[in-house]
Amino acid sequence: MARRLWRGSLSFGLVNVPVALMSAVRDTDIHFNQIDEETGTRLHVQRVCKKEDKPVEYDEVVSGYPRSDGEGYVMLTDEELAAAQPEKTRTIDISEFVPLAQIDPVYFDHAYFLVPVGEGEGPLRAYKLLVEAMKGSDRAAIGHFVLRTKEYLVALRVRDDLLSLVTMRFHDEIRPVDELPGLPTKKHQPSKKELDQAVKLIESMAADWDPERYEDRHNERLEKIIQRKRKGQTIKAPAAPETPEPVPDLMAALRESLEAAKAGA
Amino acid sequence: MTVPVKVFGALEDKSIRFRELHAEDGSEIAHVLVDDDGKEVPRERVAKGFEVAPGEYVVLTNDEIKAADQPARKAVELEDFVPADDIDPVYYDKPYHLAPQKGAEEAYALLAAALEMTGRVGIGRVVLRAREQLVSVRPVDGVLRMQVMRYADQIVPGDEMDVPEPSKKPGKKEIEMAATLIDTLAADFDPTRYEDTYRERVLEVVKQKEQGKEIELPEPEEREEPDDLMAALEASLKATKKGKS
Repeated sequence: MARRLWRGSLSFGLVNVPVALMSAVRDTDIHFNQIDEETGTRLHVQRVCKKEDKPVEYDEVVSGYPRSDGEGYVMLTDEELAAAQPEKTRTIDISEFVPLAQIDPVYFDHAYFLVPVGEGEGPLRAYKLLVEAMKGSDRAAIGHFVLRTKEYLVALRVRDDLLSLVTMRFHDEIRPVDELPGLPTKKHQPSKKELDQAVKLIESMAADWDPERYEDRHNERLEKIIQRKRKGQTIKAPAAPETPEPVPDLMAALRESLEAAKAGA
Repeated sequence: MTVPVKVFGALEDKSIRFRELHAEDGSEIAHVLVDDDGKEVPRERVAKGFEVAPGEYVVLTNDEIKAADQPARKAVELEDFVPADDIDPVYYDKPYHLAPQKGAEEAYALLAAALEMTGRVGIGRVVLRAREQLVSVRPVDGVLRMQVMRYADQIVPGDEMDVPEPSKKPGKKEIEMAATLIDTLAADFDPTRYEDTYRERVLEVVKQKEQGKEIELPEPEEREEPDDLMAALEASLKATKKGKS
């Protein structure tokens, strides 16, 4: 059962809708445990005080930030760090509605649902009203809120008739692209003929976005290896993958790809 | 068609990192791996194990784990080109930047220009850190950006949230008013308008503490109650209209 990660209210103009935050992403990965190779038993992480060489429980841990003179740390409790939080930590304030198509997906981070909470029909109706009003709009609501000890910028939209909340990265967390080495310059720009061919190639491989078409093949393959190893089989180290070379003749490569795409279709 | 590229992380970690300290004496805390008896096990004896039955672990080396997803070619294999605007934001995960390898500048520029022209993004697969990922490739100002995509089975569908329908659905007039309120709050998206002010405030608290100042603890907040919907909508509309004129 999904767990409430946060509870507060969504504030939109003077309308307040009480909501809870639920994760909308599942961890489907196979996870490994840390094992002692000699005894085959599972290991656990233990915090140890370096000075006394004694185990420390989590509630005896505080946060340290290096002192400005480089000598040791400034010690801060969780309560003191909470003082840095904005006054309103129980509200998602919607500040504006922006066209979704204007948001570069590079900003999208984690996905959640906001679900209505609270007694009676009132909160549920207010929630559904916002859903209905946003469903007909190609805009996403932009807001701010604080989850645990971090401030998040969020985009809200409607998905499956519910409010879908996606946390966003701040602009200074994205590396500028002009730092990249060896980018093409003016002299590398394609000719019209090459561009036409490349567009044709893309159109020949055009499809609708259907996420169900792509299966995660990783778990199945890893599962097979685990079962083979369990039976005592040797897992051969795979051959190193081939590294592709740049194509010598762009037009020839495009023509070939187009023919291959047509034959495959 | 092959465009040899190099992959670069697109994210810069701006979060403030704290060191764990022992509250009692302020000394640093180490993380060690211990067995059930609390005895420390040296790192060289630690292996990755998968529990196949209670208490029974199959141990795999990093090379054996790599064998699962080893590709034939070190490449991003694009399978489809889909309309960029059709992808729901929930699918996007970690971003990377691609730069051309030497000699591939023209092919790289061509792919970027052709994607730009079609409004489509490439969808394909690539192995990153021994794990095959679904990725999208899109052009951003002539640069190719690759972003890991979540698989459909990682996305929780809405019906699992069990949100009931209200017995009385919002009326047409209410929806229209809410839509008008959305219109009055319309703006263009400008990412540089939003700053992570929390980071600065944390550093400010650290500075105060270092100078020996007392940190004022925040008061617990009161919960806001939902109001009369129509009244709140009307008041919001009035307020935003006044703000604009």
